[in-house]
Amino acid sequence: MIKFENLVKKFGDRTILKGISFEVNKGDILFILGTSGTGKSVLLKNIVGLLKPTSGKIWIDKEEVSQYSEEQYLPIRKKCGMVFQHPALFDSLNIFENVAFGLRRHYQLDESEIQKRVKECLQLVNLQGIEDKLPQDISYGMQKRVSLARTVAVGPEVLLFDEPTTGLDPVTTNAVNKLIKDLSRKLKTTSIVVSHDMHCALDIADKIIVLDKGNIIEQGTPDEIKKSQVELVVGFLEEVEHA
Amino acid sequence: MLAAVGIKVINFNFHLIGVLQLIFQTLASTISPPFRIKDIFKQLNFVAVESAPIVIFCVSFAAVVTIIESSFHMKIVVQNDALVPGFASLLILRELGAVVSALLITSRVGAGLAAEVGSMQVTEQVDALKMLGIDPVRFIVVPRFIACLLGGFLLSILANIVCLICAMLVSQFSLGYTFGSFIVGMKSFVHFQDLVFASIKGASFGAVIPIFSCYYGFKCKAGAEGVGLATTNSVVTTSVAIIVIDFILSYIFSFFY
Repeated sequence: MIKFENLVKKFGDRTILKGISFEVNKGDILFILGTSGTGKSVLLKNIVGLLKPTSGKIWIDKEEVSQYSEEQYLPIRKKCGMVFQHPALFDSLNIFENVAFGLRRHYQLDESEIQKRVKECLQLVNLQGIEDKLPQDISYGMQKRVSLARTVAVGPEVLLFDEPTTGLDPVTTNAVNKLIKDLSRKLKTTSIVVSHDMHCALDIADKIIVLDKGNIIEQGTPDEIKKSQVELVVGFLEEVEHA
Repeated sequence: MLAAVGIKVINFNFHLIGVLQLIFQTLASTISPPFRIKDIFKQLNFVAVESAPIVIFCVSFAAVVTIIESSFHMKIVVQNDALVPGFASLLILRELGAVVSALLITSRVGAGLAAEVGSMQVTEQVDALKMLGIDPVRFIVVPRFIACLLGGFLLSILANIVCLICAMLVSQFSLGYTFGSFIVGMKSFVHFQDLVFASIKGASFGAVIPIFSCYYGFKCKAGAEGVGLATTNSVVTTSVAIIVIDFILSYIFSFFY
């Protein structure tokens, strides 16, 4: 379970998050929607300590983590995997080493087990035969899928996705969305997805939150969101109807 | 006016605390395992081996200019340049070799390093490292710190040797002093401790380069402009730091002469 309690985040004079409170149950898929610059990614990074909240509390499985040090965050980060907005692959390592990176760090596996796990994870995102290539030698869409494979490889209990389908073609977008759904349903992984994709959110989310200017302006199940009268949410829904 | 000065003081203190934190973290990680030997050698190759040709080329010219200018001015002031071999050797060992090679490494390695770390920061690779349980200082800064420290040490020795050889050649073919008379003149001015002090300077200058480059890289803001600014700031600050450290070390060493 992940719970936010009156979370505030400021950068200098600018207040990005203005007292956010919500919770996500284990195994649920939560979508955080909103226009650009509303603090969605900031919210996500606060969970794993990549950014520290100015005030408020964050609970992960009964642990209050908001004031944890870098050392204290290590087990939390092992528990949580994050797919970044950028593919964030390590340029100096080939695809195999990128995916194996976390496995080598966290588990005492022999080389054959690592090879097997890397292959499985790459197959999961529909990529094969690119293990020896460098990140710069494959397309942006492929890089994003490798990034997803690297995150999934270490078997996290919580998956955080920061715009996982931005820049992907429709076919890959559907595949990634299906993967998020499968991971959550089969492995009971809790997923928090920052996205602009209302269509996908309505399709696979258990709960949707809509952020605007650092505040939650609407939240509920997909069915509840469909009935929303909030202007921004209506705008998102109209976009889905047109599509 | 006062407000602007106040903001600058606050910014300076902010950067000073950040740099001191990075130095402390780097030193603590450098002396504790795991040691990334393969990465250190890879970086050492980049810092020392690949920088050697440009260092040799540039310090050669600097040495030639130094000895020719020394001779020219000595002839004006004391009417002869008999002391030029010793004087030029002293100048080369105490200042020229270490400082010029350090400034060249700064422009070649420091700029590249700031841009590399800056790009990693902007593309969230640094955050990805943290998420995979890796300390970015240990992973990125430490191998480069050790490589630059050793590289600075080795290149300062190389630069001094090259400078002395060039000075000797100019003495032989332009000023009329044989190799033998150059060495005799050099011995009367220069001692082994000068080479030791030059090497200490080289290692200290080398150690400063990755600290500032990585610091500005980690603070890099998004976009091409952000990476460019990080690179510029790192090169300027490192160059200034090298000049200041040179003064401090020269002052300390003066007590041993």
